[in-house]
Amino acid sequence: MFAMIQAGSMGVPYVPVIGLVGSNVLDNRDDMIIQPDPFDPSHSSVVARAYRPDVALLHGLKADRHGNVFLGRESDDVLLAEASRLVIVTVESIVDRLDDAEMMRALPSILVDTIVETTYGAHPAGCPGAYPADAGHMARYLEAARDDASFHDYLRETVIEVPNHDAYVESFVPAEWKNSLATAHRSESGRPA
Amino acid sequence: MARSYSDTELLAVLLSREVRDGETSACGALSMIPAAALLLARAHHAPSAEVIILGSPAFFPFPTSRQFHYLAQRGDLDLFFVSGVQIDRRANYNLHQIGGERDRPQIRFPGGYGGGMIYYVARRSIIFRTEHTRRTFVEQVDFISAKGSTPPETLRLGAPSKVITPMATLRINRDTKLLDLESVHAPHTPWDVAANTGFELVAADGRPAESAPATPPPTEDELKLLRGSVRETMITTGTYADWAEAHLGGGRQD
Repeated sequence: MFAMIQAGSMGVPYVPVIGLVGSNVLDNRDDMIIQPDPFDPSHSSVVARAYRPDVALLHGLKADRHGNVFLGRESDDVLLAEASRLVIVTVESIVDRLDDAEMMRALPSILVDTIVETTYGAHPAGCPGAYPADAGHMARYLEAARDDASFHDYLRETVIEVPNHDAYVESFVPAEWKNSLATAHRSESGRPA
Repeated sequence: MARSYSDTELLAVLLSREVRDGETSACGALSMIPAAALLLARAHHAPSAEVIILGSPAFFPFPTSRQFHYLAQRGDLDLFFVSGVQIDRRANYNLHQIGGERDRPQIRFPGGYGGGMIYYVARRSIIFRTEHTRRTFVEQVDFISAKGSTPPETLRLGAPSKVITPMATLRINRDTKLLDLESVHAPHTPWDVAANTGFELVAADGRPAESAPATPPPTEDELKLLRGSVRETMITTGTYADWAEAHLGGGRQD
């Protein structure tokens, strides 16, 4: 998948992949086939079609008013943004201007189509530099994922019947996080103080 | 006779003996025992071993896992530790799904996360498994996440070499491409191994499984390092710190 996204980011149509030969992973994939190496026909490998998603949804730590996004970590999300035709980024906060150090590692605005300020937008997963994954909520998610009925109940409660993001934060983000987000932004551990 | 070490400590020691000085060895996600093994090897017999522990801030030299995959793909990874929900006699492993139909399995697992590639490019791969039972060691896995051996024309840089469990060490026979019984860990016997393995085993030299030798047990030195400096290093570097604190040392049996 890395390789397919990387090929998409490069704008080339396909990429050779070492591995997967003989595995059941190939059974239902029409985007992966086994082909001889054109330069050395005595060897074969999987060749995978480049992946060009229509839309990528990413979450970052902050964005600035010029559309540059600081993800908060080194990330292969940059490749995904390059490969995708439409890139929508939710961020913890929007600032006036990213500083120089942040700009060095930023997803530049030329790759970004839309930015949505969505504090706690990664919850119940974590956002490096802001907060860790919510272990209690994750445990609940795993439990709910055991069968379709319980998962539907979970979806109804946390998504379908929640009117908007503020209501989600109010109901599901741990209260003790909300007082500490400002300091957590600057903490190295990514854990709320 | 009671042993003075736990299954976890035994596995960590046996895995560490596979790590060679001067080589580059790595373990992937949720690999606490291999992580301990890599650090034990450095402390014990491989001071110049390059070790890569995915998810450890101190022992992962790359900004993302992509650079690690590409290092392996270039042929620069000598040894990789991998696990599987099921393992079969051809050293195929399954990290995808169990039972049911292909589209509607009984249980679905997270999948390979790149393991389906590393298994073909690491020069040696060693499968570790904390459970040695017939549900784990099967004649044929329900889903092949990665193949133990492939036709000679397949571009492949390396292959699995061993499977190590709390009961025994199995080794891939280079001629038959099947797993043979290399050695048995006390207090288990070759009969215990046969009773808990879902396929026929022979000893590494083609003789009956009963002739397989006993594995040299962990030495005082290995256990002392594992419970001392390795445990300490894991705790202070945030490398599965909670796990190291709970599972290494103190003579704890598990």
